[in-house]
Amino acid sequence: MGGLQKKKYERGSATNYITRNKARKKLQLSLPDFRRLCILKGIYPHEPKHKKKVNKGSTAPRTFYLLKDIRFLLHEPIVGKFREYKVFVRKLKKAYGKTEWSSVERLKENKPTYKLDHIIKERYPSFIDALRDIDDALCMCFLFSTFARTGKCHVQTIQLCRRLTVEWMNYVIASRALKKVFISIKGIYYQAEVMGQLITWLVPYQFSHDHPTDVDYRVMATFTEFYTTLLGFINFRLYHSLNLLYPPKLDVKAESELKEENDDDYAMNSESYLEKLSALSASLARVVSTAEEEEAELDQFPVEGEDMANMEAREKEQKQEEAQKKLFEGLKFFLNREVPRESLAFLIRCFGGEVSWDKSVCIGSTYEVTDETITHQIVDRPNIGKQYINRYYIQPQWVYDCVNAKIILPVEDYFLGVTLPPHLSPFVEEKDGDYVPPEKLKIMALQRGEKPAHEQEDEEEEEDEEDEEEEEDDNEEEGDDDEEAEEKNLKKMEEQRSQGKSLPVKVTAGKVKVENPARLEQEEKAEEKRLAIMMMKKKEKYLYDKIMFGKKRKVREANKLAAKRKAHDDAEKSKKKARK
Amino acid sequence: MTNMITLTCNVLPAGGASNVPQAHKKKKRVSFLPQSSNMAPSRRTKRVVASQPGFLNLKPSSGAAGLAGVRRKRVNKNKKKNWNKHSDINDVTEFLEDVRHQERTIGGLLSEKSDDHLFFLDVGQPKKAEQKAEPVDGKKRKGKAVRPLRIDLILQHDSLVPPPKDVLAYQQPNAKKLRRIAQKAEQLAAKGVVPRRQKQLLNRRPADRTVKKAVTEANNNPDREYYDIWGQESKDTADPWYLQQTGKKRVKRPEKLNEKPSVLPAVEVIAPGGSYNPDFFSHQALLQEAHEVEVKKQKEEDKIERQLAVNKEHLATEETILREQVEGLVEEENEEEAPNEEEEGVAVGAITVAEKKTERQRKKERAYKVKEQLRQANRYQNDKRQQLFQLRSIKTSIKQEEQETKDKQKQRKAKQEAQKAQPRRLGKLKFKAQDMEVQLSDELAGSLRQLKPEGSVLKDRFKSLQKRNLIEPRERAKFKRRLKQKYVEKRAFREIT
Repeated sequence: MGGLQKKKYERGSATNYITRNKARKKLQLSLPDFRRLCILKGIYPHEPKHKKKVNKGSTAPRTFYLLKDIRFLLHEPIVGKFREYKVFVRKLKKAYGKTEWSSVERLKENKPTYKLDHIIKERYPSFIDALRDIDDALCMCFLFSTFARTGKCHVQTIQLCRRLTVEWMNYVIASRALKKVFISIKGIYYQAEVMGQLITWLVPYQFSHDHPTDVDYRVMATFTEFYTTLLGFINFRLYHSLNLLYPPKLDVKAESELKEENDDDYAMNSESYLEKLSALSASLARVVSTAEEEEAELDQFPVEGEDMANMEAREKEQKQEEAQKKLFEGLKFFLNREVPRESLAFLIRCFGGEVSWDKSVCIGSTYEVTDETITHQIVDRPNIGKQYINRYYIQPQWVYDCVNAKIILPVEDYFLGVTLPPHLSPFVEEKDGDYVPPEKLKIMALQRGEKPAHEQEDEEEEEDEEDEEEEEDDNEEEGDDDEEAEEKNLKKMEEQRSQGKSLPVKVTAGKVKVENPARLEQEEKAEEKRLAIMMMKKKEKYLYDKIMFGKKRKVREANKLAAKRKAHDDAEKSKKKARK
Repeated sequence: MTNMITLTCNVLPAGGASNVPQAHKKKKRVSFLPQSSNMAPSRRTKRVVASQPGFLNLKPSSGAAGLAGVRRKRVNKNKKKNWNKHSDINDVTEFLEDVRHQERTIGGLLSEKSDDHLFFLDVGQPKKAEQKAEPVDGKKRKGKAVRPLRIDLILQHDSLVPPPKDVLAYQQPNAKKLRRIAQKAEQLAAKGVVPRRQKQLLNRRPADRTVKKAVTEANNNPDREYYDIWGQESKDTADPWYLQQTGKKRVKRPEKLNEKPSVLPAVEVIAPGGSYNPDFFSHQALLQEAHEVEVKKQKEEDKIERQLAVNKEHLATEETILREQVEGLVEEENEEEAPNEEEEGVAVGAITVAEKKTERQRKKERAYKVKEQLRQANRYQNDKRQQLFQLRSIKTSIKQEEQETKDKQKQRKAKQEAQKAQPRRLGKLKFKAQDMEVQLSDELAGSLRQLKPEGSVLKDRFKSLQKRNLIEPRERAKFKRRLKQKYVEKRAFREIT
C-alpha cells in the first residue's frame, strides 16, 4: 500500500463549510457588520448533514456557512463601505472627545453611505422574482410604519416605511387588486393579486405596541433597510404599469377639492401632502388622462386544444371578477370616529366606493355627515343619537364580510346593537367532506343567488343542501348505500321464506315507466363504476377501500360537528327563550 | 572704431563741463553731492579727458602722442589677430571704466543729472541749541544706536547700479514658435475651425456631478428617489475582458443562492379561530391546539422535576448513620484475610511456565488441522450444491431485501420532505416557537372597537424569519462586568441611618 496517508478534514464536506467566526475573519468584519452583510446579500447559514465531519471531529454547536457563499461575499463592494464606516465612527468619536466641533461637522457631512440598488438587481434579476418575495417586505414596512418615534429605530426609516406603504395601498386601490381580508386578534391580514401573484401581508393594529425585549432590533432594521429599497423599486414599476405618476400625485380634481378646506388646520405644509395621500380618499394622477386610458375590451381567441365551453367558462369567470371589483361602486360611506379609518377607507376605495369621515378625525375628508346622499354610515357603538332615515347604520364587520363574500351581504345582521355573525377566515379552503360552518354555507347560498326567505327556514334549507352536496360529492358512496339496501331487502325476504310464510304475491296493473334519459345515464355511469371496482386488482382494491374509508370518516366527523353545532344553537335558543 | 570714438567725444565734453564750475559762487559754497568720495572720480576724469585726441597732453610719455613719436611698426591689417594685437583701445576701456564708475557711485552719468541732484545749499553750522540737546540724550542712552556696526557697513551694498534683472525669468523658450502657433490658432478660430484637442475635450463624456450627491444620500432618506431598475439594461459598454481583468466586473451570483432555505410561506395566516369574532368551533379548535402545546410543556417540566427528585431509598436511615459513625472503630479481621489468600493463589498460577510440547503432540495437532480443513472444504462444496435446490427461497429472500431497501428509501425521502418545513439547527440554540396567540372565550371582544390585540407582530415577524432559517436563533448577549463592583455607603446616607 503505497502513497501518502490521507489527512483528515482536508476534503469532502469539511472543506465545503466554514464556521461563522472564520467567515467573519476572512471578511475582516465585526459580527454585527457580518450579520448585516449576510442579510443584505441573502446568504443564510446552513446545517450540514454530517456535523461532526464538518466541525473537524468536534460536536460543539456552531453556525456554518457554505464556503462558496463567503467567497462570493468577498467581491461585494459594500464590504469596503462597512470598513469605511468603522473608520468614520472612530474619527467621529475622537473628534467628540477632543471637542473639535468643526471637524465633527465636517466628518458628519462626509458620512460614508451605501446603496443597495445593485444588490436588488442581483438578487432579483427580473421584476416577477421581486414581486414573489414582496410579502416579507410589505409586512416589515407596515410594521415599522406603525412604530412610535421613540428611538427604537431611526425616525427616517419610519417615515420611509410610511411613505412606501401608502404608495402600495394607493396602488392596490388604483388596480383594484384586493382579494381577501381577515381581521384577526394579531392584526389584519390582506391578500391581493398583483400581476398573477397572490400577495399576503399583515398590518398590525395601530398603537398596539409593546416592544418585546427578545427581538433583535438591529436584525429587523437591517431587513427593513433592504426591504424598503425593494418595495420602492417595485412600487415604481407597478405605478408605471398603470400609467400612474411616481412619486404619486393626487388627481388635479381631487387636489382642488381638498384644497378648498383650510389646510392650516392639519399638518405642516411639508407633511400634509403625504398625509393627504395616506388618507386614501382621493384618486391618483395619471400620466395619460383616464378617458383615454379606458381601453377597448380585448378580443378573446381560443388557445389551441381548448374547446369553446372552457373558454366560455373562463369568460364568465372574468366577468364575475370584474363585477366583484366594482362591489361598492355607487355606494357612499361615512366613517364614524371610533372605527379603524385607514383599514376601512382602504377597503371601500379598493372596491370603488366613496368614503369620507369627520373633518377632525383626519385630513382628506370629502363630505360631511349631513350629506343626504350617504348610503351607509359605519358605526361601532351600541346606539347613536341622531339618525338619518335614508342611510344604513351598520357595524364595520359588514364591509369586511362583504369583501370576503364578494357580494353585498344583507345589512340586517350588521345593524347597531345586533350580535354579529362570526367573522370567518377567507384563507380557509374547505375540501369536500370537511366541516363547513353554517354561516359560510349561508354566504355560499347567497353567492349562488338564492334568497333566504326566513332565517329558520333558511337553516333547514341549508342542511338539505348540505346533504345534497354530500351525495353529489361521492356517488360511490351512494352506490354502496344502494347495495346495502338491496342486500337488506333480500335478507328480509329470505327470513320470511324460512319462517314458512307465503310471500305476499300480488298482480297489479302495469304502469308505464317514464324513462328519464338523464337518470338512465347516471345509472349507467354508476354501474360502470361498480364494475370497474369489481375488476380491480386486490392491491388496488385495498387502496381504494382505504381512500373511501378515509372520505367517509371525514364526512362522519363533519356530520358530528354539524350535529354538535345544532345542539349548541338549540341550547342557545332555548336559553334565550327562557330568559325572555 | 572711429565712429565709437566720436560718440564718446560727444559725451565727454559734457562730463568735462560738469567739472568746470569748481569756482566759488557768491558766499554760498557749492560742492559735489558725494562729499566723501568726490575727489577720486574727478581726478580720474581728468586723466580720461587728457587721453582724448582732442586735448593737448602735458606729458608726452603715454597715449597717442607717444605712439606717434616711436616709429610706427608695420603690421598687416588684413588679419584679425593683428587687429587685436596692435590696435590701442586703452582710451576706450578707460572711458567705459569711467562711465561705470559714475554709474556705480552716482547712479547715472553726471552730465545727465539735473542741478538739484548735484548741488545743495549750504546754510552753515546747525544751531547750538540742537547741539546741546543732543548730548543730553546721549548721556541717557549709552552706546549710541545711531552708528551702525562696521560689519554691516562692509556688507552694505554700496553700488548704486541696480542689480541686473534675471533674464531667464522673462525669457520664454520657443517663444517664436509659440507665438506662431497662437497666431495660427487665432486665425483658425476666426474661421470657426475647432482644433482636435478641444474637439476631444468636448466629445468626452461629462463627469457625473450627481453621482457624488447620490452617494452622500442616506439609504433611509424618506424622500429618496426610485427608478426603473429592471427596465434598463446594464449601462457599461466597456470591454468585458477589460472589466474582468481589472476586477471591475460584478461577480455573478450563483444560482443556488436564490433557493429559499425553507418551503414555508413568508406570511402564515393565523388559524380561523384567531378571528376577532370567531366561529365557535374553529375557536374551540384553536383553544384545543393551544391547550395541547401547554400540556406538552407541562409534561416536559414534570419530567425534569421527576428526574431531579430525591429518591427515598437513597436517604440516610438511622442504621446507615450509625454505621457511618462507627466506621473504622470496630475491627473486621475475617473479611480482610480471605481475599489475601485468593490473591496469592492467582499470583502463583500466573508465574507457572507453559510446558514444552512433545514431538508426538505436534504431529497430532498438525494432522488434526489438515483434517479440519478438508472437512470445511467438503462442507462448503456440499452447501453450494444444496443451494441449487434452494433457489426459490433465495430468490424470495433477495426480493424481500430489495423491497426493504426501497421502503427505507421512501421513508427517508418522506422524512427529508418533512424536514424541509422544519426549522434547522443553525447554532447553539434550538428554534423555539412563540406562544400561540389565543383569546379565551371571555376575552373575546364584542365589537371591533373593543378588540384587544394579542401578541406582537414584531415578534411574529422575527420568529418567522428564524423559522424559515433566514437567521439563526440567538439570545441577547448578557452583560458581563469585568471588574467587581464595590458598594460603599456614602457618609451622608450613613449619617441619616
